[in-house]
Amino acid sequence: MSMRSIYRGLRMNHSRFLCSHLHSHATSFGFKEVREEDKSQMVGNVFTSVASSYDVMNDLMSGGLHRLWKERLVSKLSPFPGMKHLDVAGGTGDVAFRILDSIHDVAHRAVGDIHDDNLLEETQIFVCDLNPNMLRVGRKRAQERGLGGNKSLIWVEGDAEKLTFGDGSMDGYTIAFGIRNVTHIEKALAEAYRVLKPGGRFLCLELSHVELPIFKELYDYYSFSVIPKVGELVAGDRESYQYLVESIRRFPRQEKFATMIAEAGFQKVEYENLVGGVVAIHSGLKF
Amino acid sequence: MYRSAARRLLPAEICRRTLRLASPTPFSAPIARRAAFSAGPADNPQNHRPDNTVAFNSSPSSDERRNPRATARPKAHWQEEQTRVLQASLGHVIRLGWTEFAMVAGAKEVGVSPSIVGSFPRKEAALVEFFMDDSLQKLIDIIDTKEDLKNLIPSHRVSKLVRIRLEMQAPYISKWHQALGIQAQPLNISTSFKQRAMLVDEIWHAAGDEATNTDWYVKRTVLGGIYSTTELYMLTDNSPDFQDTWAFLDERVRDAFDLKKTLEEVKYLAEAVGAGMGGPVQGFLKKVLQG
Repeated sequence: MSMRSIYRGLRMNHSRFLCSHLHSHATSFGFKEVREEDKSQMVGNVFTSVASSYDVMNDLMSGGLHRLWKERLVSKLSPFPGMKHLDVAGGTGDVAFRILDSIHDVAHRAVGDIHDDNLLEETQIFVCDLNPNMLRVGRKRAQERGLGGNKSLIWVEGDAEKLTFGDGSMDGYTIAFGIRNVTHIEKALAEAYRVLKPGGRFLCLELSHVELPIFKELYDYYSFSVIPKVGELVAGDRESYQYLVESIRRFPRQEKFATMIAEAGFQKVEYENLVGGVVAIHSGLKF
Repeated sequence: MYRSAARRLLPAEICRRTLRLASPTPFSAPIARRAAFSAGPADNPQNHRPDNTVAFNSSPSSDERRNPRATARPKAHWQEEQTRVLQASLGHVIRLGWTEFAMVAGAKEVGVSPSIVGSFPRKEAALVEFFMDDSLQKLIDIIDTKEDLKNLIPSHRVSKLVRIRLEMQAPYISKWHQALGIQAQPLNISTSFKQRAMLVDEIWHAAGDEATNTDWYVKRTVLGGIYSTTELYMLTDNSPDFQDTWAFLDERVRDAFDLKKTLEEVKYLAEAVGAGMGGPVQGFLKKVLQG
């Protein structure tokens, strides 16, 4: 087991250094090896096919826990009125709505500060997603929530590896259940670092690795046997959910990912495991 | 952009390889990880030594808190920035209270994204604790530099020092009850106790007390009580320049020193009685009294 992980570690390091030289290189798509150019296309297909049932499936798969995880993410971010925030891979707006709620909540508590109304209007939350279908779902949900005309929410179609925002333009950067699907994680991290202001924070919520012995067996059984079946029944799409569980296993471990964040230039890199590591929240501070 | 990225990645990579060569077992992994964690934006290869302590999850100022007199280790860049933000936040406390809003205002003032406020684990508590540490440091500086303090008799020196320390929180008096509330929260109370114990310790130390027997505990408890009651008295004191508070303080300190005298008298009496009753009792009493 340890040999295999070392081997895998070496191979991953290796591929990171090769990829800058070669045009095309194999990357992972779940447990499959695919060409780099194809990965984002394939991920795109996955999300196009699951977009409509995305939230129902999230609730089903996590037993509603994903709501708590996202709450936790937002409370760790501690948003403030006047914030410029970028939520990447957040097409359905789940995180963005929570941030907006939290900002309004904060603004209500801050009595005595007269500039608050202006600050509230200055607040901008950019929701960036590669997949237009996911953004469509998000826009629709915004309308249902009565946020259709809200100027603070800005929906942008874009790639986490090539953000269209200026250097040092954001106070916060979140990516929830998204970085796993990015072809070059380090490029996405470098972009996150670039767009943040000094003092800005990077927060990443991602399905991660469980270490607890018995819980791990249960979790593996649940992932590989239950989730694809549920996906087939509810979303009518077994492959996408097979990809989901496989891509979780291919994602770097908590410590390794923290190292990658630090290598992108972030300071005070920390992570917190939730539910024994089923998900982890990584955070970094830019200076 | 790419060049700087390469500069960041390269030393870490070289370092990791050399570490792997040095000990090819999987156990070398944590060390390598640690080294990589210290990678900063403008790092030179020296910063990648494995003994670099800028590991993740290090709590910001726990070391300094434990011993403010110890020479501070060079802080990481983010810690300096956090300190700058906290320092600036103090200026907004009077208007906004000991809240994260004051911290947001402080961050804006020093030109750092207010997002940094989220990186303090216990936001308002961090601000209060920073103020306590900062005030203690100021008090220590005063003790070290002010010569006229040394000429005072111990009881006056103690009350003078308590007064100097409490005057530091006078500007925040309208919001100080809030700070006390934050300090009393279950998550923060252990740090508050530690900080108060250290403060009282410094004051006794400055008063020239080098006792190491059971008296040590008695004295510190008594002074801790005086400090806290005076602090509370101050909250509701409307007299100009807190004159009533200082009068109250002087009385309490005098009482305490009288009590000390009384205790000593009791001790002598007991010793005398013991001497009258004979050897074994005297030995026993000596043991008890000297702790």
